[in-house]
Amino acid sequence: MIQTICLHRVLREAVTTPYRNLVTRATGAAVRVRIEAALDRMACDVAVLDFSEVELLDFSCADEIVAKLVLPAARPSRPVVLLGIRDEQREALDHVLAHHGVAVTGRLRESGEPVLLGAATPDLHQAFAALRERGATLDDFARLPIS
Amino acid sequence: MTRVVEVPPSFDDRTFDQFAAGFGAWPPEERILVDARGAQWASPYGLVGLLTAGQALAEAGRERPLLTVPQSDDVKRYWARTGFFAHAASLFEIHGKVPRAAASGPSDVLLDVTPVRASEDVHEVVGRIGANAARIMSGELGLEAKSSVGFSMALSESCTNIVEHAGTGGWVAVQAYTFRRRLGRRVVVIAVSDAGIGFRRSLETAHAKRYGDRWSDATALEAALIQNVSRFRDPGRGQGFAGIKRYLSRWQGKIGIRSGTARLAIVPPWDDDVPLADQLPFFPGAQVQITIPAQHAEPA
Repeated sequence: MIQTICLHRVLREAVTTPYRNLVTRATGAAVRVRIEAALDRMACDVAVLDFSEVELLDFSCADEIVAKLVLPAARPSRPVVLLGIRDEQREALDHVLAHHGVAVTGRLRESGEPVLLGAATPDLHQAFAALRERGATLDDFARLPIS
Repeated sequence: MTRVVEVPPSFDDRTFDQFAAGFGAWPPEERILVDARGAQWASPYGLVGLLTAGQALAEAGRERPLLTVPQSDDVKRYWARTGFFAHAASLFEIHGKVPRAAASGPSDVLLDVTPVRASEDVHEVVGRIGANAARIMSGELGLEAKSSVGFSMALSESCTNIVEHAGTGGWVAVQAYTFRRRLGRRVVVIAVSDAGIGFRRSLETAHAKRYGDRWSDATALEAALIQNVSRFRDPGRGQGFAGIKRYLSRWQGKIGIRSGTARLAIVPPWDDDVPLADQLPFFPGAQVQITIPAQHAEPA
């Protein structure tokens, strides 16, 4: 089963702010703790982090939320896929994942195009391209061996 | 005894050392009088630096400093409009008539002088500047619309540094103006200043050993800005400056950081600043200036 977590909703629970910006390391840590707790409660195979209603994502927050969720030491027992990523958020995600030597798949908000973010081996790139070509689902992308 | 510290007539990152030198050994023993009567212009860097001086003196337990306001009505009005006097009133004994900040329409002040103490303040700063940033970046600077997202990211990361590393609060201001002398173009400037422990002390425990006798304000700045190191062992730390540098390299922007007795800058081709200045007059905390230029020169 795929479980989708709306990051904007988690942000609203974690921080008192009228804005839709995932900024600061403290905010990232607070959001990640809530995501980890939710994932622990849910009986799902794939966790989808939905960025659709998020405006800004800074590097510190991207590192705290996404990179730390997918690091081998901290990874939950289920794959993580990103959904609704804006082009401007892609750069921060790509940078922090590459910095840690990990990769994640996701879909861009505007085009719906699947993307591979972070540090990916040539084999992983090839597998990702093959899945994209045959119009794979989020679930399929989540099964890629990402580290 | 009172020590008079003069505010340079044109008060910005270039003349800041003159201002810092006025305090002598830090913290100064005498009561300080900051004399701004002759000020003709101040950049956001100058204004947040002034507040930082007041804050640092208060935190050092010194007598409340005096501040004489600029004589020029235009300068006074402008300083009032940035919100400077509203904050200065809690840090200085102000002498001279201060105009009330008039409500106005669209302005070159993109973000008033704003205190930054906690993560919530960074959310507020980034949220408030959102629409204004988009208007200025694409309208006035001729950058593509999505550059405003990177701009907000740079603002967020530079404010987060205060929250994460300074050990006390600080100030931020953002303004657009025409940079005639060096560039002949419009620029947007983010100025962030805190009265905290500075880069050298922040990084000392984790990194000083590696540098041995070379450890100083200058090497600490190099470690943070060039090598992206952080005081935390967490390998994900230090990416804030990396993100800011990526953004600035795309738009020929500049970042300069002053901390303690050194200043380090990543200097784009349009500027003639030195990359590293050492053995400067001491000033507490850290002062960051980020400058993003318009893509095209202003018509003559």
